[in-house]
Amino acid sequence: MRGRPLLYTSYESDQAIFNTMAKKVFAGLGLLVLVLLPFNVVPGLGFLAAGDWLRLLSTVAIFVIGGLGLNILLGLAGQVSLGHAFFMGVGAYVAAVLGGDPEGVRLGFGLPLWIWLPAAGIVAALIGIAFGPAAVRVRGLYLAFVTLGLVFVGDYVFRNWISVTGGAEVGRTFPPLQFRLWKEEEPLIDFTSDGAWLGIELISEAKTFYFVLAAALLFMLLAKNLQRTRIGRAFQSIRDRDIAAEIMGVDEFRNKLRAFGISSFYAGVSGALLASFVGTVIPSRWDLFLSIQFIAIVLIGGAGTVAGVVLGTSFVILLPRVVQDATLWMQDVVKEGDSLLATLLDLVVATDSTDFGLVNTLPGIGPGLSVFQLNQVIYGLLIIGFLIFEPLGLYGIWIKIRNYWKGWPFTY
Amino acid sequence: MIPDLLILAQETTVEPSQLGFMVVNGLSLGAIYAVLALGFVIIFKATQVLNFAHGALAALGAFFIAYFATIINIPGRWMEGAPGWLQWSLSVVFALLASAAVGMLLERIFLRPMLGEALFAVAIVTLGIDIIIRTITNDLIGLNSLPMGDPFGLSQIGFGCEAGRFLGSIDLTDVCTVRVPYTTVFQLSLTVVLVVGIALFFRSRTGIAMRATAWDQETARAQGISVGRIFALSWAIGAAMAAIGGLFISMFPRRPGGVDTFTAFFAFRAFPAIILGGLDSILGALVGGFAIGFAESAASSYLTFEFLGTGFGGVVPYLVMLLVLLIRPYGLFGTEEIRRV
Amino acid sequence: MRIKVKWLAIFLVLGLVVAACGTSGEEESTTTEAETTATTEAAPTETTEAAPTETTEAEEMILTDVGVDLEAGTITVGLLSDLTGVFSALVQPVVTGYEAQVEAINAAGGINGLTIVLEIRDTGYSVDTHVQQYNEIKDSVVALGHSTGSPHTVAINQQLVEDNMFAVPLTWYSGWSDPALNANLVPHGTPYCIESMNVLGYLTDQNPDAATVAIASNAGDFGEDSAEGAKLAAEALGLEVVYDGQGKVNAADEATLAEVATAIVASGADIVWVTTSPGAYSGIYGQALAAGMTALWSGSFVAWNFGFLGPDSPIRDAIQRDWTFAYPIAPWSADNPGTNAARELIQAYDPEAPPYEYYLEGIVEAQLLEAILNAAYDSGDMTRAGVLAAAKSLESMSWDGLAPDQSFVGEPNDTVQRLVNIVKPSAADLEAGGSGLELIEANYTSDIAAAYQFDEACFDAGFGG
Repeated sequence: MRGRPLLYTSYESDQAIFNTMAKKVFAGLGLLVLVLLPFNVVPGLGFLAAGDWLRLLSTVAIFVIGGLGLNILLGLAGQVSLGHAFFMGVGAYVAAVLGGDPEGVRLGFGLPLWIWLPAAGIVAALIGIAFGPAAVRVRGLYLAFVTLGLVFVGDYVFRNWISVTGGAEVGRTFPPLQFRLWKEEEPLIDFTSDGAWLGIELISEAKTFYFVLAAALLFMLLAKNLQRTRIGRAFQSIRDRDIAAEIMGVDEFRNKLRAFGISSFYAGVSGALLASFVGTVIPSRWDLFLSIQFIAIVLIGGAGTVAGVVLGTSFVILLPRVVQDATLWMQDVVKEGDSLLATLLDLVVATDSTDFGLVNTLPGIGPGLSVFQLNQVIYGLLIIGFLIFEPLGLYGIWIKIRNYWKGWPFTY
Repeated sequence: MIPDLLILAQETTVEPSQLGFMVVNGLSLGAIYAVLALGFVIIFKATQVLNFAHGALAALGAFFIAYFATIINIPGRWMEGAPGWLQWSLSVVFALLASAAVGMLLERIFLRPMLGEALFAVAIVTLGIDIIIRTITNDLIGLNSLPMGDPFGLSQIGFGCEAGRFLGSIDLTDVCTVRVPYTTVFQLSLTVVLVVGIALFFRSRTGIAMRATAWDQETARAQGISVGRIFALSWAIGAAMAAIGGLFISMFPRRPGGVDTFTAFFAFRAFPAIILGGLDSILGALVGGFAIGFAESAASSYLTFEFLGTGFGGVVPYLVMLLVLLIRPYGLFGTEEIRRV
Repeated sequence: MRIKVKWLAIFLVLGLVVAACGTSGEEESTTTEAETTATTEAAPTETTEAAPTETTEAEEMILTDVGVDLEAGTITVGLLSDLTGVFSALVQPVVTGYEAQVEAINAAGGINGLTIVLEIRDTGYSVDTHVQQYNEIKDSVVALGHSTGSPHTVAINQQLVEDNMFAVPLTWYSGWSDPALNANLVPHGTPYCIESMNVLGYLTDQNPDAATVAIASNAGDFGEDSAEGAKLAAEALGLEVVYDGQGKVNAADEATLAEVATAIVASGADIVWVTTSPGAYSGIYGQALAAGMTALWSGSFVAWNFGFLGPDSPIRDAIQRDWTFAYPIAPWSADNPGTNAARELIQAYDPEAPPYEYYLEGIVEAQLLEAILNAAYDSGDMTRAGVLAAAKSLESMSWDGLAPDQSFVGEPNDTVQRLVNIVKPSAADLEAGGSGLELIEANYTSDIAAAYQFDEACFDAGFGG
């Protein structure tokens, strides 16, 4: 079939993960770039090799896992959940109890990563399944609010269960990302300290990045495969019309339970990784805004696709940093003065209390927003802008661009 | 001049009643939740928008009230001789108009383009709005909390009081069985007025148009109803209701200091009330609001056992909501979705 | 099945190819580049250990590593501040005060000619963001001028130790003086629990009839350290604790305020000690007032907001009768050289700034920084380790009355600050252009606070556990 990339002669090749050559090449190249990032060899992306950017990229990878979970529930099975943060919290605390320091103040058994990470997912999944029947009874928006209740009940439990969570405003430390076979002193692989791997010097941020990247890739592969299985198709039929699905023999009850279970598994793993990555987490971390952030990730990326989740997560996590750097740069330009650009920006930026400007470089006083408040406003505006101008999300934009070039020069 | 304490009945041996405190607190909370829920439900019913920015609008509205009533004193500055309550009421009206204008602007700029998009995509847009309004409101409020400037002060009505004990400079220290702050009376009466007003409004020509729009936008349009205007109107009403909710939150005794950066978070607590009554029912918002208010008040008065830890009262609304939804999946008064294949 | 196996094989091959490319390509063509990154990354530590840069610019040898650039003549200091989160209304003026003072220091010649540059970052009061922002600025700053929030500061404490940097915590947890946490922290001001002892000592001194106390607080180090101090004080003073609501307040949860208010009223206490945020404090106070309670009210100074005293505030009169606080720094209208200068500085920096103590807190922190940097310069060691050592050997720091003098050398029992400024809300002060806090007694310490043997945190929050 050489030269006719869109001609599929079997169901398998149509359903393949990379069903075109271009996808294969791009996925391979993308992976290559990601793997090479910490070595500062990719032209134009050198700044990403710095520790703080690698940390942000690791955060993206961790949120991708959580986002994939919500995507399975929301994008595939069509069930809206505002309770994702709760399941992440459950995962995080399971990890903390199993992997935590046995001599520490809080409950901990000091078990290795290969136990606490899967366990975080499994326990979260069990609670998700236990919650499933409610989801069968309550539908649509009402389901969203039932799951919202879950966040608040979870917050209450997390605040009060001090031996496990450390309590409100104190929190606890989480097991570091270190791979041990059992409880030996020296970890077999340590993702949290600088040093050489196979003779290559790596900073700790790079190691952590590789670990979470690998985890994210694994979960992406699983999510992509789930879509192509019988279960995935059952989820989609429930999403499209639950009664029709039932008439066709899809068991609504069982599949909704499954959807909640799988989604919560992803959330649990993501929560455990996030807590372990940050090191210290207070119970209010698992609040409604985290849940909403995940809904934003799925919707901005484009519900229902794995690539969309990756795009959406990158957008939501990296945007605040980009906006912050831009506003700080603007402030610097104005402070240095003289150039034409500075004069232009000075119209927007106020440098002292008598100067007029939409933005004020003095936090807390005078009219106008501070740089940091502007940062928040731009973040909000971009979220709105995206949804207004491209309701299909970033993935939709990509499809448009692709289709444009596919038919080029015939743009119809 | 309002007396600090209006004593309605006197008794000889008096013990402050915890039940009384609980009921008064529950009524006041109920009024707050009911008003917040009403605004939310009106917007949802007419435009199918789940408004996550409701809390931010409440804080902004409360800021407007403080701004008109205490900072720039409009229209009070032009009417020197008028009684204080009149000046304040007019300031509140101005503030509500300002809130309504903000609501209409938000609808026109950010939500009209989202017409016909998926419900949750629109909800996330309101979330973006929430971030923006909250940030700007916090900047406007500034460093100190802003009192509402209401004429009620600390005045209270006392039931079953033992008179004659004046200890401090404020005659608030009489022992009474039940004390009801004037602000609570104000909140309850205004809630009743609003509910009656809305009920009457729905019988008016515009109100019927709004109900028709809620039922079916395209058919309503075919009947000559300007759907755009109805959307604008419902956002105006919704935002004004949010502002009243913000006012209720920022009063004595709940927040005597007035509106501050925490006010915006309060509205999330009204969600159980909204859901309990049913997302699209005005009556439901009222019943849900008071039910949740009472449940919360009762829990924080009586469910204070050590093993329940801290903050159980705050979870009770959600537990009630969960329970009700499991029995009635569309809330107490919500419209049941008819499922067809 | 076939499809799966095939894809697994391809995926593995692809993975191997990528891995091979990665390693071999790197070894051959990009070794130099990789090495250079490695050295720049590792530069800070290497220079500290091996051969710190030496310069004769200022006639003496000054050692530097990160954050101090003798050629450009700058010292970069980081501030991790909550500028958009829940405490932004408190932290924004602190940062403004900090900036004003740093500008004044620079205008007056800086640190022996070196200009202080501030690297301010917004943490939004989120631990995640705090850690992330720390990592963003850690390779360019010599120290942290302040770090907002307790769990937030604990989350970066380990890295502070590794990076040899000091930070001034912008919270007053007594555990900061605990050797377990203290190595790289420079806490200033009176810890919450000593504050409780001071105020309760003062109140019982003034009102000998008071016999009972009701205590309520937020959960966590802030509230519970304060509540623990109040209990210790009650025991020493012979006050009966009629309600113990330690950790029962959640400022974001209205229900807890009603619960605590009900319990306080039912207890009928003479003195009420509540430690929480301003809004929640006024809410509990308002509800107790509505229930007809009269008592002496106090709590951590964090609860104060000058908005409560405004002409339209319903509780304006009541709080002047009932409230007493203890400030770790001087109130706005205090008349002493340090405060007068600070006030003028803020008014010159921004004529529209409202009188507010949090501006002064920023100035206090910036003056502390100046003293530390000057000491480090004089010692000739402006490496991070040197600056840290300078901070830890600051024997007697004086703010000329802007804050009580403090020493940073010695055992926790010697260094812990016990002096406070007793203040009361005063509308007269507000109308006279003050912040509404009248200084009742400067540099006050109660007998129990003075006698308290401080070896460890009053309340062990269990940080780092």
